[in-house]
Amino acid sequence: MTGALASVPVRAIVRGLADAAARWADADFPPRVRVLEAIVVRTGYPLPVVEYALDRLFEAITEPALTATIAGELGSLDALDGWTARAGRGDARALPVGQVCIVSSRTTIGVAIPAAVYALCAKCDVVVKDREDHLVAAFFASLAQEHAAFASAARAETWSGSHDARDLSGFAAVVAYGRDDTLAEIRAACAPEARFVGYGPRASIGYVARESLVDERGAGAIAEGAARDLVLYESEGCLSLHALFVERGGAIAPERFAGLLARALERAHVEFPPRERGAGASARLGGARALAAFRAASGTGAVYGDRDARHLIVLDPPASDPPLLLPRALNLHVVDRPGDASAYLERHAIAVEAVAASGKRDDVVKMAVDAGAARIAPFGALQSPQMEGNHGGRLRIADYIRWIAEDT
Amino acid sequence: MPYNRESGELDAEIGRVIAAWHKHGRGLSDAEFEDLALRIFAYQLRYDEPYARYCGSLGITVAAMPASWHEIPAVPTAAFKEATLATFDPARAALAFETSGTTSGLGGRHYMETRALYDASLLAGFDRFMLADGARLRYFNLVPNPADRPQSSLGYMMGRVCADRGDGNTGWYLRGDDLFVDAFVADARAAVEDGVPVCIAGTAFAFVQLCDELAERGATFAFAPGSRIMETGGFKGRSRIVSREELYAAMVARFGIREERIVAEYSMTELSSQWYRVDAPASPAPHGRLMAAPPWLRARVTGADGKTLPPGVVGALVHVDLANRSSCLAVQTEDLGAAVGDGIVLIGREHGAELRGCSLDAETLRAAR
Repeated sequence: MTGALASVPVRAIVRGLADAAARWADADFPPRVRVLEAIVVRTGYPLPVVEYALDRLFEAITEPALTATIAGELGSLDALDGWTARAGRGDARALPVGQVCIVSSRTTIGVAIPAAVYALCAKCDVVVKDREDHLVAAFFASLAQEHAAFASAARAETWSGSHDARDLSGFAAVVAYGRDDTLAEIRAACAPEARFVGYGPRASIGYVARESLVDERGAGAIAEGAARDLVLYESEGCLSLHALFVERGGAIAPERFAGLLARALERAHVEFPPRERGAGASARLGGARALAAFRAASGTGAVYGDRDARHLIVLDPPASDPPLLLPRALNLHVVDRPGDASAYLERHAIAVEAVAASGKRDDVVKMAVDAGAARIAPFGALQSPQMEGNHGGRLRIADYIRWIAEDT
Repeated sequence: MPYNRESGELDAEIGRVIAAWHKHGRGLSDAEFEDLALRIFAYQLRYDEPYARYCGSLGITVAAMPASWHEIPAVPTAAFKEATLATFDPARAALAFETSGTTSGLGGRHYMETRALYDASLLAGFDRFMLADGARLRYFNLVPNPADRPQSSLGYMMGRVCADRGDGNTGWYLRGDDLFVDAFVADARAAVEDGVPVCIAGTAFAFVQLCDELAERGATFAFAPGSRIMETGGFKGRSRIVSREELYAAMVARFGIREERIVAEYSMTELSSQWYRVDAPASPAPHGRLMAAPPWLRARVTGADGKTLPPGVVGALVHVDLANRSSCLAVQTEDLGAAVGDGIVLIGREHGAELRGCSLDAETLRAAR
């Protein structure tokens, strides 16, 4: 461990991170322009989607956001630079936990960067397993221009094959994203006392309460947001909208809302053009569409799609149907109460990351809490998490901190 | 509705098509296939209510028929779990096969009004693609015994084949998930000693299990020349998946049967006819297996919008099986393939797309449930 950031004041670190991010938030910033095409190639997402992702990612990394998160979790930034007094307790200091490894294989755009940012704020040395687009490496290069210490503290590496191609036993903390079996393997490769921060498979849902369906305009605005939450990243992220619950009893009926959503999707396809789909996804979409149409012909539910099969909305499928988990495809369940959504999530053992809600009704919030969600967001903002947010329900910097306290 | 004259006439006509190919190798021209397919479809629109409702929702009725067999609406396989797709009262069904509950956990049924078409179709195909040399074999089955599990279409098929083409010493080695390896080994040794050629038929997963067990015991066999293997199905719902190359190598090593004597069969409960692999296993097509079917079974390859894709383009397979007279002749699958000449290159079911970090995928969801 080099401890390259050990003597750098945390405010300088935060400023360096925010300044670099600000440069990356500029669409014309040359390193961003250079890496753009590589991200398009790796993910297959069209350029507007990648641009949007980079905007959201880097615009969120600001001094106020980082400062507020650190102060919120540690009491103050000063704890990272030295001993600080604590009310009713002895002085304490937040030290870096040690070297941190972030295994960001198979992730959406830049998922490793927020974790790396917080680990660097904790003054840890960070190694990120980068993807083929080298986005993290390029961002780290910008960091080094902000402060020379970042050059030693932040390293992005690529290693092919599975996680075991890299020895993880020397890291004090390992952050990983992926399936449960992948996380279990990575965890097993860590040192016994290492901190493991695993982000397993999760989905996000939406809940439209009847009181928000009072008129076409209000319902249309919710539909616009839901359409954006659905189409971004081709439904592949843990923050993508994977199931939508709409209450009966509003002035706008769920059937009408489904129609509004379908129309909103037509517009969303223009803003965020669909990625070219593989034959497998097309086959599964075709099967889902045909089954929904078959049911609709028998009087159960309805199906909404366009001529080019860019999206699929299935209205009121049986509760036994799991989420479609296909690009730009969504089951819209008609419900009477949030408990119906809870029952569905429990039935299908869905771990929920975030809930898009049309309002903060108590029973809707309770449903989100019971589902294990880490976040409640308005429709349209599901895929734009704040830097202060608690991805996976975890604190952001605390995992990278080792406390030392003085007895009173 | 009792078995009526119209049904009887159609069955007789389809039966003649099957017999002409089976006995004389006579195929069906495009026009002949089209004509018969559209007449069967029109019949199904009159007698298969759920199918007719579905077609009606797509604007297709007896009064507004499609111009080509390519435009006959296909029901997804899952529809067999949703409704009774039959042109007759299923209480009179001669055969009823159960589909597996893959996605929703619910099973479905495929009803056949008579055995005649089903039997004629499966035997004609098996004779052509498995028994072109006219061999009479001893059958070792790693599929459900129809005596125990009459609702298994695969079990029924092999039961029919064994009864009509076997040597009278058929073995059944699968019950539920239990594989009777001791019995297989004993019967296999006897067949080797007697110099009797065999046909081992089973699902890919059952073969994996058997080869694993035989490897543990260090058992190998040198079956008589002319022996062969029919491998079918995949690894649906199974935890261990091996490549087809690995599986075939193991089968060659355990049974002493040459790789070119291993034939892959592909079908499903919702069909009455089967596809068989016709390219050499030793020189596999880079992206799939070349499959052929009897002339009354054709496939079209479709995109997400349901439209037929040009030859060579990979998409979802829609099977049009004229022997499905009493249910639904056009069946949409999620299996991938491409049209090539009169056959298809079968790629099979694609697993989920590449995962994106902490996103949820269908496989994970199924495992969680």
